Amino acid sequence: MRKVTIGIAVLLIVGLAATMAWGYTFTPQQKELFLKAGMTPERQAYVKTKPYKGITITVAVNTAGREGPIAGPLYMFGELWGEQTGGKVKVVEIPYAECFEKFWIDCLTGTGKYDSVMAGAFWVGQLVEDNYIIPIDKFMKDPRFPQWDTATCSPALKTLRTWGEEWYAVPNDCDGQILYYRKDILNNPDYKKGFWEKYGYEMPVPPSTWDELKDIAEYFNGWDWDNDGKVDYGISMHLKVGGQGMFHFESMSAPYLISPVNSNLWWFDPETMKPLITSPGHVEALKTLVALRDCGPRAALSWSLGEAWDCFLRGDAVFCFTWGDLGSLAQDETKSVVRGKLGCSALPGTFKSYDPASGKWITFKRPNVVGNTTGGSWAGVISAFSKHPEATYDFLSFMATKEANFWNACTGWTGVDPGRTFVFIEPYGPAKVESYVASDWNAEDANEYTIGFYKNFYSSLMYPYMRIPGTVEYDTALDVHLSEAVTGTCSPEEALQRTYDEWERTTERLGRDEQIKLYQKAIGYTK
Amino acid sequence: MKKNQIKFAFLLPAVVWVLAFTIFPLIYSVRLSFFSYRLGRGETFVGGRNFVQAFTYPRFWGSLQTTFSIVLVAVGIEILLGLLFAWHFNREVQGDKVFRTLITLPLFATPVAVGYLGITLFYETSGPINMILSLFNIHVPWLSHPFWAKVSVILLDVWIWTPFCFLVFLAGFHTISEEIYEAAYMDTNSELQIFRHITLPLLLPVMGIVIALRLVEAFKVFDVPYSLLLGGPGTSTEVYPLLVYRTALKNFDFGSASALSLILLAIVMCIVIIFFRQLRKVYE
Repeated sequence: MRKVTIGIAVLLIVGLAATMAWGYTFTPQQKELFLKAGMTPERQAYVKTKPYKGITITVAVNTAGREGPIAGPLYMFGELWGEQTGGKVKVVEIPYAECFEKFWIDCLTGTGKYDSVMAGAFWVGQLVEDNYIIPIDKFMKDPRFPQWDTATCSPALKTLRTWGEEWYAVPNDCDGQILYYRKDILNNPDYKKGFWEKYGYEMPVPPSTWDELKDIAEYFNGWDWDNDGKVDYGISMHLKVGGQGMFHFESMSAPYLISPVNSNLWWFDPETMKPLITSPGHVEALKTLVALRDCGPRAALSWSLGEAWDCFLRGDAVFCFTWGDLGSLAQDETKSVVRGKLGCSALPGTFKSYDPASGKWITFKRPNVVGNTTGGSWAGVISAFSKHPEATYDFLSFMATKEANFWNACTGWTGVDPGRTFVFIEPYGPAKVESYVASDWNAEDANEYTIGFYKNFYSSLMYPYMRIPGTVEYDTALDVHLSEAVTGTCSPEEALQRTYDEWERTTERLGRDEQIKLYQKAIGYTK
Repeated sequence: MKKNQIKFAFLLPAVVWVLAFTIFPLIYSVRLSFFSYRLGRGETFVGGRNFVQAFTYPRFWGSLQTTFSIVLVAVGIEILLGLLFAWHFNREVQGDKVFRTLITLPLFATPVAVGYLGITLFYETSGPINMILSLFNIHVPWLSHPFWAKVSVILLDVWIWTPFCFLVFLAGFHTISEEIYEAAYMDTNSELQIFRHITLPLLLPVMGIVIALRLVEAFKVFDVPYSLLLGGPGTSTEVYPLLVYRTALKNFDFGSASALSLILLAIVMCIVIIFFRQLRKVYE
């Protein structure tokens, strides 16, 4: 009996130790690379003094775990930064649904429990207007801190990091949504022939409009096109309330309104703050989304991001339009069967677009494609109540250096998506495909992926990102009513009308005049 | 200190507790419901606007409807199952102690955890429930269909709260004297008749308490719909407390949230008062 007890105890201890030791660690070469990154002679001298010895900075982040998106790199780089500067990083994980509230209330009460938060770009307007975060321009000029180049952010991404003329967020994640597709399946001659016979036109690879995408998704839905003995689907989406489905609608609906004629009217009329969400363009987009629902598994209505990605990675869907995480996750062959089969492109466009100003549809000869920066683009901001703003900036910029950010962007689980100029492979940027291969990427996938993102972030038309006070509230209302439309509880028109009514209530409550002022500022509107 | 003054000293902590944590929040909430209060931006007196806005808000009526449907069905099933189990385990049954323990286990589970567990159980493509149902060629869209989503919430609520009803009913059964049954068995051998004419009337006060407690508690249902479905699909499982939570802690609209809370308080009080009046009538 005693032996059994001892045996169990040993097993438990070994198990516990193994669990604690498990996790990603940097190789010595990587450590060296990151420690040298962004170095200046001034910094070299500065870090020798271990300037932050005895200082702990607290960074709040959405709950994800030590190896989870956005949070994971904070732990890893935090330890490395501590080695260099003597400081310590305490990561506080807060559930996504509460993260903003906790940080905001911490600032409201002036507690200063959090020195920084990995903020969604859509929080920035509210935090700046409340004076709860501080501009970082003076730190950026200081050679004692790790150096990163602002020119590595595309204009669209720069907009997310700044408010007015000042920088507030240190670059980290670069969110944008692109289309992922199964190159091998779409280029299969038999399937191409079958598609032609059914739809009367050649299957375009990749689809350049949402209508084409819908036809292809419909064609591939409900049969075993990869001969794995399971029924496969056309498209994998996630439409659960609270599962960020509204972001996907926002990206996909962009070309239904944004065009060379209308560069920024998607959300509100900037002069009255009256919602535009019931416009014929939005209705048409939502009808397309509802149609796409029938080209994928019904369970997608209850899926969050992870399930939708998993469906695509398992090889069960031809399409998935989402953030950059999927491309890097596809490289992990323990979870993905699509490595080397990945096709990527900017999101499809439309042949017609509704102009809210004139109230007319505009038609195009070539697809009207619109880029987006949809998502959180999670990046560190510094609390106005931080007792150690310099140390906080030091750490955030340590993660923003070219080397650190490139590694993050190449590594699937980090949740840090690519977007800065140095991640794009030649001729679109300075990166070499070999760097991706060294990070265990398939060369062709890396090329497809970075080209897709380049075309998205450098599109001549961009979806207008919303980041005024109440953004979360507007988004939540849209999320809930989109779900009503896709589950068939009400028609697309009704769902958008309900969204309109809720947006009006929110605007009234927050103060229409104040909202107009901030909205105009946020989208750079001038009469 | 005089002897009769000491009793006040002993009462003081309880009085302070009630004043601080019941009376003060209630009064503050009533006051707040007449203000437009945004955290960090001060307050403005708005009279009854928050109440008017609540009644003209479509999601207010939707969430009330959802709450009523979930509460009535769930509490009804819990009472029936609790009564059935208690009646069954009140007798000498082999292994009854093990079964009693097993039945009461869900009561100790945190509802939020049960909600997250529910995501796995009701997972549509490969969850254990649908895997079993697929053996009979049945596929239920537990989490993606507005109707079935409500059913999922009800099933989890029943799973958590039936043990509570069972325990109280079992205690109620134990209070009924054996002699009454012995006398009854002299007139009839029908278990059903004895249950209907002896057990049920004598159990009525206990049943009243159970129903009242469950109703009051059930109207506060939040954890399961939140963790399982976040109120979706659409607003199909957006129960009233979830609406209050979103209004207060998502939109930071504390005035409206207070008004919504007071409306719920009034509704629950009305239901409980009506229920007890009816019960008293039946009992008398």
